[in-house]
Amino acid sequence: MHGSISGWLTIILKRDLLIAFRKSSTYITPLVFFLIVVTFFPLALGPQESLLSSLAPGVIWIAALLASLLAVETIFSDDFRDGTLDEFFISLEPSFILVFAKVLIHWLITGLPILFASLVAAIVLYLPFESFIPMLLSLILGTSFMSLLGALGAALSLGRSAILSAIIVLPFSIPTLLMGTSVISSSITNQDFSGFLMIMGAMLAIGIPLLCLLTVEALLLNYE
Amino acid sequence: MNKLWNKLKRWFIEMGSPPLFYNWSSKIIPWLGLLTLLVLLIGLYWGLFVAPMDYKQGDVYRIIYIHVPSAILGESIFIFMAICGFINVIWRAKISGMMLKAAAPIGMSFTLLVLVTGSVWGKPTWGTWWVWDARLTSTLILFFIYAALIGLHSTIEDKTKADRAVSILSIVGVAIIPVIKKSVDWWQTLHQPSTFTITSSPSMSPDMYIPLLVCLIGFYLFFAYMLTLNLRNVVIERESSKNWVKHVMDQESK
Repeated sequence: MHGSISGWLTIILKRDLLIAFRKSSTYITPLVFFLIVVTFFPLALGPQESLLSSLAPGVIWIAALLASLLAVETIFSDDFRDGTLDEFFISLEPSFILVFAKVLIHWLITGLPILFASLVAAIVLYLPFESFIPMLLSLILGTSFMSLLGALGAALSLGRSAILSAIIVLPFSIPTLLMGTSVISSSITNQDFSGFLMIMGAMLAIGIPLLCLLTVEALLLNYE
Repeated sequence: MNKLWNKLKRWFIEMGSPPLFYNWSSKIIPWLGLLTLLVLLIGLYWGLFVAPMDYKQGDVYRIIYIHVPSAILGESIFIFMAICGFINVIWRAKISGMMLKAAAPIGMSFTLLVLVTGSVWGKPTWGTWWVWDARLTSTLILFFIYAALIGLHSTIEDKTKADRAVSILSIVGVAIIPVIKKSVDWWQTLHQPSTFTITSSPSMSPDMYIPLLVCLIGFYLFFAYMLTLNLRNVVIERESSKNWVKHVMDQESK
């Protein structure tokens, strides 16, 4: 099992999932944060059903973006501090796999919980029931892309202020926000939304190789 | 022909060396500055005073001679930065990283200028300072990306590393450029379609169009001039511990 790419992938995934599982705050914090942000909107704007259901796509997406950026600097920082990252870079070939596994872990502990929480948010914001599936599809593609971007931001700001990674990543997340909200709002008005989903899928397909490679490059900056 | 090509190649490689670049730029700077001033003055005078009035917008349209060149510059500088970033990441050419650093504030200023002149122009013609239209919004995102690049650079102490970090981010950011370029074709917008296209002849009349072209060339020259000035400062700052800088400084203070 050792040495092969899938072998390495399973080893890193197992180890990191175990760490995340033992420290429950890693996957509960984004979830709670997401729900709190969603709750703020009805409180601030008033509880009218028509208003909330028209704002719901935007509210859900803004909350999802912010929540997925919340834990971004933890992607590499713990492993960097205790030297695990050094060991990985020495023994792992190609290092692409490390970054890919880290992105996957980040999605599993933030993106996946947000998916479940978004169902609750959709109900309390009176999103029409037909839009639930498009919302979940757009969130699956969009939060995965956010994890990729977040990994790059985390790698670039490794060992520096935590807010920096969020500021780096936010301007680049705007296309995801636009596409994601377009998917949900066109499904509300019974329009075709497959085009937006395809663009999000294309962004993800380009992003996995390109952003992972650039993240490796950014991580190596810390070892010169 | 072959000889010229070899000479050009040699010059290009020589410019990768900070002291050689510094000496060369000292010679070129006054001439470049003079040329920039001349072309910009001709273009702006032609555009602002000589070119005919627009039959619909009157004199208001003349802001196009600032707005369009700075829009093109704001985008081309980003492409230039991404190319520098690409070279810096792959070949680790130090000077291309410095170039990236020197170009960023210039590009950001041009992008700010587009947004400001655009809203000044929008008020009398569209009746509003700002609309959330695809062209305007994507340009605003470009401005934020410039800000993110500059912010990232300033937080990293080791400037060579900062250059590389910004290089990596600029490669990702260049994806916004085709979106801005195509935004007027892909979405229904208030903004008018592109003024310049390579494939078809311009829809403007030549006596409005040629001064715009002169202005554009003037703006490019201005960028080249500012970039050279900025890059000289960056080079001196980075290499301040080297002997050649001491030598140059001694000579310049004499």
